[in-house]
Amino acid sequence: MTASERIPLPLGALGALGATLLLLATGLLTACAATPLRPLPAINQRLEQNGSSRDPSLSGRWLALVSGRDGRERVELIDLELNRPVPLPGLNRPDAQTLNVSVDASGERIALIRQRDGRTELALYSRSRQSLQPLPLDPPGVPRQLQLAADGRVLAVQVSRGGLWQVDLIELP
Amino acid sequence: MALAMALGGCSLPWARRSRPAPAAGWAANLSRQDPALSGDGRLLASVIERQGRATVLLQERSTGRVLPLRHLSRWQPHSSPSLSWRGRYLAVIVQRGARRQAVIEDRLTNRLLPLPLPGGREPVRLTLAPDGQRLALELVAAGRWRVEVFELGGVLEVDPPAGALLRTPAGARP
Repeated sequence: MTASERIPLPLGALGALGATLLLLATGLLTACAATPLRPLPAINQRLEQNGSSRDPSLSGRWLALVSGRDGRERVELIDLELNRPVPLPGLNRPDAQTLNVSVDASGERIALIRQRDGRTELALYSRSRQSLQPLPLDPPGVPRQLQLAADGRVLAVQVSRGGLWQVDLIELP
Repeated sequence: MALAMALGGCSLPWARRSRPAPAAGWAANLSRQDPALSGDGRLLASVIERQGRATVLLQERSTGRVLPLRHLSRWQPHSSPSLSWRGRYLAVIVQRGARRQAVIEDRLTNRLLPLPLPGGREPVRLTLAPDGQRLALELVAAGRWRVEVFELGGVLEVDPPAGALLRTPAGARP
């Protein structure tokens, strides 16, 4: 038996061992590095039934989003603890399209951007008062996206002004 | 500016409190998108063009001071940042290779948590619950927008609002 004949055996064995170790190590590293997301089936099933849904905002026990089917969209506020939407009287209107929405952690305030009569407007809804109040931008601009801090005291708005995207911060009383 | 503020103060009670986000320090005419505030309003994340690449920027709202993000100087373009109550967690969508993926940077431990979607799907927009215990993703499925909610309890520690430990939890019973 020549040396060249013997070599393949130990190398092959080492190769198999090496490959096993490599696979194990890769598996371990992947397990540490990436976390598979665990869906919440009850909520997701409800969202699926609502047709399309977009622009989610999570805060406290609340999920605000825009949902609908056949092009008829509306703002929804879902209580995630009870897995059901709560009524939002005076918020949705058939002649307005909501672009973006955000809710605070208490579920009391909902900030939104909507288009109506060819205009894009920023507004704040109070759930306890069931009223929607417009928030003027100064200097004027076209709002596109927003986020309400979870404590409900500051609103950040992405605004188009002179071809540039800017961010306005609005302190709410 | 002063005039505008004075006028705003006279006629627009809300606009009086509106102000531009703090400058980032190195670019006066900065285009800035996707704003997100920590739950307590102390921190502001936004997406700016840095060397031609959409990159998340984290700042103190009051001073404009830029805070370091250990893992997020790469994997551009970034989009849709979201912050927890005190800003311990920053969730954002990044580009890793050919795929869009949600990741969370834990600013306390400097750990990065990649969150691949089941089924190889890709997120378009995200929102992290302020306590860090849930994540909602908007994605495109079968040609329409769809929101899905995911559980992060047991994956992330709770980031409570300031002072929360001194209060009785809302759901607690005597």
